[in-house]
Amino acid sequence: MTIELEATGIVKRYGPLVANDHVDLSVLRGEVHAVMGENGAGKSTLMSILYGMQQPDAGRIVLRGAEMHYRSALDAIGAGMGMVHQAFKLFNSLTVWENVVYGMEPTRFGFIDRREAARRVAALAERYRLQVDPNAVVGRLSVGVRQRVEILKALYRDARVLILDEPTAVLTPQERDGLFDIIRYLTADDRTILFVTHKLHEVMAITDRVTVLRDSKVVDRMVTSETSAREIIRAMTGRAVNLTVEKSPANPGAVVLEARGLTVATDGGKPVVDRVDLAIRAGEIVGIAGVAGNGQTELIEALTGLRISDGGTVSIHGTDVTALDVERHRDAGLAYIPEDRATTGTALAASAADNLAMGFQRKPPLSNGSLLDRNAVTSHAKTLIERFGVKIGSEQLAVGTLSGGNLQKVVVARELSHRAPLLIAEQPTRGVDVGAIEFIHGQLVAERDRGGAVLLVSAELTEILALADRVLVMFDGRILAELPAAEADEETLGLLMAGRVRDAHLTDGTEAA
Amino acid sequence: MSERSVRTTRLPQIPAVPLAIGIGILIGGLLVLASGGDPIAAYREILIGALAPANWPNTLNWAVPLVGMTLVAALPLRGGMVNLGGDGQLVIGGLVAALAALYLPLPGPLLITASILCAMIASGLYASLAAWGETRFGIPMLISTLLLSYPAIGVASYLVGFPLRDMATGLAQTRMIPDAARLPVISGPLNIGLILMIVVAIAVVFYDRRTVGGYELRMRGLNAKFAGYGGVRLASQQVRVMFASGAIAGLVGAILVLGSLYRYQDGALLTPGYTWSGLMAALLAGGAPLGAIAAGLFFAGLQTGGFAMQRETAIPRVLTMVLQAVIILFLAIRHGVGRKSS
Ligand SMILES: Nc1ncnc2c1ncn2[C@@H]1O[C@H](COP(=O)(O)OP(=O)(O)OP(=O)(O)O)[C@@H](O)[C@H]1O
Ligand SMILES: [Mg+2]
Repeated sequence: MTIELEATGIVKRYGPLVANDHVDLSVLRGEVHAVMGENGAGKSTLMSILYGMQQPDAGRIVLRGAEMHYRSALDAIGAGMGMVHQAFKLFNSLTVWENVVYGMEPTRFGFIDRREAARRVAALAERYRLQVDPNAVVGRLSVGVRQRVEILKALYRDARVLILDEPTAVLTPQERDGLFDIIRYLTADDRTILFVTHKLHEVMAITDRVTVLRDSKVVDRMVTSETSAREIIRAMTGRAVNLTVEKSPANPGAVVLEARGLTVATDGGKPVVDRVDLAIRAGEIVGIAGVAGNGQTELIEALTGLRISDGGTVSIHGTDVTALDVERHRDAGLAYIPEDRATTGTALAASAADNLAMGFQRKPPLSNGSLLDRNAVTSHAKTLIERFGVKIGSEQLAVGTLSGGNLQKVVVARELSHRAPLLIAEQPTRGVDVGAIEFIHGQLVAERDRGGAVLLVSAELTEILALADRVLVMFDGRILAELPAAEADEETLGLLMAGRVRDAHLTDGTEAA
Repeated sequence: MSERSVRTTRLPQIPAVPLAIGIGILIGGLLVLASGGDPIAAYREILIGALAPANWPNTLNWAVPLVGMTLVAALPLRGGMVNLGGDGQLVIGGLVAALAALYLPLPGPLLITASILCAMIASGLYASLAAWGETRFGIPMLISTLLLSYPAIGVASYLVGFPLRDMATGLAQTRMIPDAARLPVISGPLNIGLILMIVVAIAVVFYDRRTVGGYELRMRGLNAKFAGYGGVRLASQQVRVMFASGAIAGLVGAILVLGSLYRYQDGALLTPGYTWSGLMAALLAGGAPLGAIAAGLFFAGLQTGGFAMQRETAIPRVLTMVLQAVIILFLAIRHGVGRKSS
């Protein structure tokens, strides 16, 4: 086999921090090569160097035998590289098709042929079974749908070497399988895939070889068929990680969150959230399963007060909060991990201390209501950083430089530490490493056992299956079915999520709404 | 966009400021040279005019309203909001202060306090009108603050031009305010307005650094969606901040009227262009109060120096305005470049 891409001695420093420390990586033509490592190990940094977005401080990149000196990503794209970014690089105010064809627009008489562009994008989406509306504005889409756009964008460019940086973090199993089909199709065509993920079963399923990074260095190289998930974890973390969640049966108490007939309309079209009824009790974890774009995002926005609903009521602990702002939802007992950590969950330019203080700023110990106690803010941040293992130099640094998983930990740490009666967690482990998943899952269960009501939204079915005591399936804006955890399995949920109630063979005790 | 790509530096890096000032001085010098003047002499006069101990009172006196208007712009800017209505708020403050001083039947110190408070409240309310318009009806403040200035200026001009005009002089101005309403003098042109402004500046810096409100405002400026999600009440915050911003403008108006002009005179508050110099200073610092105050002081020095230079040499004081503009442009370029490469 020939070597397609080879990097040797890559070094990248950010001030005192060494993000890549003499990294060597060798990728064969036509293989799927996994790059794994804990949050902050330097995976994204390495990928962005291979893609020409960052210049290494030292090291060589050789692509198909020729040494490359990228001045920018444009050079790399010209050389046949493509990348799906972990932190999406999309224009939020443009439509899906505009984002996809950007830089490679089909033209007609020198003008962009909009019809043709939209048609091509629709055809591409159709061919790879990625559901998106080419004319939708990206900023209004949920994170899961934006992920599809990011993938489409890379596919449209028809790259020889495709870098996928955590492309499945918010995909559902069906979509993930769809992506795997695409990957197989591409490698059959002798294209090369670099695949970054934290999901071990994906690595075992699709990749040929694995390079493991730890603390910015390569610590191991393996052939997938000759290794196991356990061994990879050990290489990444240096310890064994418990992948199953231990939890006792739930002990539901009083209703904490209740929604009646909740509706979110769209301009003209049919409602995105359609007369949803739900009740979450103290001491239980309720999971919402569903393919991204079926109204989960809007439902959660309406439940949390980020969006004014067009009908129905929401109450928390008996307080009607339907038309109230987030502040009053939080007063009534809400903590909330939003799916979009970068635009909602944090202020990237603000320090970790400031980010972690949000929501605590009006109460002791961080303040007396009007004056902020800066020492308390600092020690609050230090405690959380320590407890959740956020990899950051100091709590005074802006969180914008954190790796994806570490940024996620900042949000999760803050919201969990509210110890609120109600926790709404949207994709809480998006992009975090196995060790941190274990920890966060443990914390969510502890939250429940403490008597908290937890509403969990996740594209990751295994997460829902592992944590939820009760599962609601959302399809087309409605709660299509509700089933107890005991009766939920991947297959049933998968069918329900596709709207196929009849095929799902629901047994008694399970309601199809 | 997301995560990494949004990282922009708000404050220019330290070396950028001296660089921009250096380039500004160079270009200004070339301009003087081209028009047949002596740049060295010009700059010497500016420096002496601004910084020689004998001229400090003048510089400070000019700095009081300029730094005041800097804070007017900086406070909302810290939260990502823009108040372009400084002129209108300044005029309302000045007029209300003059009217209160003329017509309120109060003795000395009380009269001063009452006049100042009336001015601050009137301007504060006028500014919060724009905030209310945006939170309630979605009228962008960027537009409404600017537009609301025109009726304020127009009405004030009409009032002192006709019903309230001082018939003794031929000008559009009110009568002189009574002695009791005049701000006590510290020395020369300096009055206790200076002290009031120092107190306000300290209060703003303290608010920004130490208070819950300041924290929430900063977070809003960095990411309004995050602030809203975190439980900051954006609408009431906007109204409150605009009230405070307008109130400072009202205070500046009152200080000018009660401390230097002793009457409200049509146009007198606006001719020096404090609002716009202040806005530029605030923009330079990205709304950070201390930086904005420093920039405001620098502009005040530059402008007072300009008067001195015009007096001592044949070079018109527009040169200092050119300097100011060039410096800002260069800092802005640095900003733009920094943003692109990140
Ligand atoms: N622009 C930057 N400035 C400063 N530090 C940075 C920058 N980009 C990355 N880092 C740091 O480099 C380290 C590696 O980051 P990187 O994003 O490569 O991690 P990662 O392996 O992709 O992690 P994750 O699994 O969480 O995505 C982190 O500690 C991060 O904080
Ligand atoms: Mg990463």
